[in-house]
Amino acid sequence: MSNEVEILLVEDSPEDAELTIRALRRNKLANEIHVAEDGTDALDFLFCRGAYADRTFSHPPKLVLLDLHLPKVDGMEVLRALRADERTKAIPVVVLTSSFEQEDVAAGYKLGASAYVQKPVDFEGFSEAVRQIGMFWLLINQALPPGEFTASKAHGV
Amino acid sequence: MTSSSKAIAACALLILVCIGTLSYWSEVRNDQDREWVTHTLHVVEKLQTLRIDITQCETGQRGYMLTGQDRYLELYEAGVAEVRQDLKELPDLTADNPREQRAIRQLNPLIASRLAELNDGIWVRKESGLLAGVEAATRANNGEKWMGQIAAQIGEMRDTEAGLLSSRLETAAASTRKIKVVIALGNALAILILLVKYFVIQREIGKRNLAERSLKLSNERLERRTAELSETNIELESFAYSVAHDLRAPLRHIAGYSGVMVQDYGPHLDAEGLRCLEKITGSAKQMGRLVDDLLGLSQIGRQELSFQDTPLGSLVGQVVEDLAAEHAGRSVEWQIGELFSAECDPGLMKQVFVNLLSNAVKYTRKREHAVIQVGQTRQNGVRVVFVRDNGVGFEMQYVGKLFRVFQRLHKARDFEGTGVGLATVQRIIRRHGGRIWAEAELDRGATFFFTLGSPENKPNEQAEVPMNEKDERERRKKKMNEKEEELHVERS
Repeated sequence: MSNEVEILLVEDSPEDAELTIRALRRNKLANEIHVAEDGTDALDFLFCRGAYADRTFSHPPKLVLLDLHLPKVDGMEVLRALRADERTKAIPVVVLTSSFEQEDVAAGYKLGASAYVQKPVDFEGFSEAVRQIGMFWLLINQALPPGEFTASKAHGV
Repeated sequence: MTSSSKAIAACALLILVCIGTLSYWSEVRNDQDREWVTHTLHVVEKLQTLRIDITQCETGQRGYMLTGQDRYLELYEAGVAEVRQDLKELPDLTADNPREQRAIRQLNPLIASRLAELNDGIWVRKESGLLAGVEAATRANNGEKWMGQIAAQIGEMRDTEAGLLSSRLETAAASTRKIKVVIALGNALAILILLVKYFVIQREIGKRNLAERSLKLSNERLERRTAELSETNIELESFAYSVAHDLRAPLRHIAGYSGVMVQDYGPHLDAEGLRCLEKITGSAKQMGRLVDDLLGLSQIGRQELSFQDTPLGSLVGQVVEDLAAEHAGRSVEWQIGELFSAECDPGLMKQVFVNLLSNAVKYTRKREHAVIQVGQTRQNGVRVVFVRDNGVGFEMQYVGKLFRVFQRLHKARDFEGTGVGLATVQRIIRRHGGRIWAEAELDRGATFFFTLGSPENKPNEQAEVPMNEKDERERRKKKMNEKEEELHVERS
């Protein structure tokens, strides 16, 4: 597994994953995208364990696109685990979901989501949303310097 | 109180009033009777006095005849004066009784004769001394005869009076007895009536208790039905939500892949192929709007309202500003009147104005000069907000369909829309305890009116819905997770 992963896309729907990746690529964003199809897979990836044991915390993804309704461990659980750990708490997480339930939006922010975006149904809207997210988090937003997420720095806070 | 028990009460009251009047009247009568009795006794006493006075005259005269002393003469003269006085008073006392009057007329000469005789005796004694007096008295001794007649006459009169007295006493006693009987009977009747009334009231209370019991029963039944209904409603809402939510993903995929087709393979398609693809994209877009509107509608039914004192005028101002882009290049005149402040959920209330005002903008599209009015009025003491336009309006026979989901009164070709907007508005207004209705004329514009409920009827709704809502949401979430689990299992 490469350490160059820029975006972790946590998405159980292959169609949504494909359309998202397509929209990103079309805008020349993120050559390195990794798709996790459920929460467990996402957590393994982020915490560099299981199938991803060769990954290191020093090169986290620049962005996690997180669907909420996931098999096994759902999106909220992933977010909670991510924010609870010093090594992963600063990773930008944009919730990208079908749900626009106010309760879910509130819960997402309470757990420390960086942004909350509802997937638009129409293609243009969806493509535009994905493009803007990618543009902001990969190009405009200043990522944390590499090495800040290592285990040795974790107890600093 | 029923009319029969009212009548009974009136009867009892009337009887008591009658008894009161009767006893007062009988008291007056009794007084009169007693006065007559007193009067009779007075006459009897006067007759007695007359006899005594005559006797005094005789005693005085006899004493003078025997002794020639002046004090007997004085006694005699005083007696005569008394008798004269008595004879003067008697006719007045017995003026009511002709028989007694007659008797007095007979008595008068007798007494006069006797007094004359006595006077003669005194005169002889004065002039000629004791012996001549005695002799004269002996010679003309009519004294006993006169006195006998006088006594008889007075006796007769006293008998008459005694008769009168007894009859008058009898009358008084009889009227007292009668009154007693009437009062006793009246009281008995009143008591009887009150007893009847008591039983009537008892029966009415029994009936009312029965009615109350049956009302309580039907209330309980109604409550059960309401609970069942709201349960069903929640299930329906949840079903609608799940359907809409689950439809969104495949829809997004249809829209997405047809978008990809247009983008990537557009150049390889001919005009007809592109047109078909456009149709797919357009329909997916429309379905997406429907699904989103449905989700919004179902959300309004379930979400908790947060009430705040909100000036409706400023909400309308914001909405008008937001809508500016929608009618760019058109001539739209906004006439915004004074609007009150209301206890409402500002977000949802803004949604109401967004839907109503964007409808007004949409349906005046074909007007050269559109006029949209927002204002308040009063109906039966309730404040009403209205939104009026001079647009295409609609036929009032279809007004019943206006607020139903997916019901549209215009062709999609003429005016786009999902048919969810007014249903959403109605749901929001209802959740605020208010009412919405519309008046329109084809091609003459439409007016929408709505009220907002009083704050009192809100807590109920607030208290009930969130509880169910919360449970429901939990259940739905669980269901969704299970479903996704299944999906996952299928895939893997």
